[in-house]
Amino acid sequence: MNDEQLKLSSELMAGGVGLVAASGYINNEGGQAIADVINGLLKQGATALLIDLKGTRIINSIGVSILLEVLEKLMERNGRLAFCNLTPTIARTFEIMGLAEYASIYSDRTEALEELARLTHPD
Amino acid sequence: MTLTLNLPAVPEVELVAAKAVELVGRDLQLASTSIESVSVATVEACLNAIEHGNQSGFTVRVGTQDDGEGRWLVIEVEDHGVGFDPDAVPAGGKSRKHGSASNRGWGLKLIRDLMDDVQVESRPGLTIVRMRKRIGGAE
Repeated sequence: MNDEQLKLSSELMAGGVGLVAASGYINNEGGQAIADVINGLLKQGATALLIDLKGTRIINSIGVSILLEVLEKLMERNGRLAFCNLTPTIARTFEIMGLAEYASIYSDRTEALEELARLTHPD
Repeated sequence: MTLTLNLPAVPEVELVAAKAVELVGRDLQLASTSIESVSVATVEACLNAIEHGNQSGFTVRVGTQDDGEGRWLVIEVEDHGVGFDPDAVPAGGKSRKHGSASNRGWGLKLIRDLMDDVQVESRPGLTIVRMRKRIGGAE
């Protein structure tokens, strides 16, 4: 099950976009670890967040619930939340649980960062 | 052939069941998307068994079935907890602010959506969630 061990990295990019890369199983602990990293990025000034789930095959409903709490926190600040590199099953899970309704979903990191840069700095 | 796993109710044991499903699914040449769907549904069923079952653990059975409708991958998750009324399970709540789901209770909804056929038998002392995915069916 080592391939399911959650690995996280984060970076505050130009334009206030916080990038979180997560691979592995996202359960309650994994979801909370992502939320903690995001809180750190928000404190550093991030206004938009991209969560890259390349390498994540399973996220359970508790993990998604924690991401929904992150989404609500961002929306209260007029921030944006986006995801990329979702498996079809994770995308479907986000759709069922309502996350896809309020977060943007992109096929890959390049497309997501380009679009977030355009949305956060339209000029 | 049926693979039977008697699992303790310990953190992340649901991944053992998901791995078993993945191996059997690959052997049956199921599409990777179908295997992932069945894995997530199995994880959710195991989480329910851990949360609502008793402390002695739970059982997962992974096998196949042929009937008049075709061939199926079948997963059963059995626990011996207090049981529940599957018709009374809320299908996920809505948050006050944005209409998104922020609370628990999504497991059974996800299972029903990701699998082709789901049956729940539950009474005090015995709950069996029986999930089927069609082999060779549409994604």
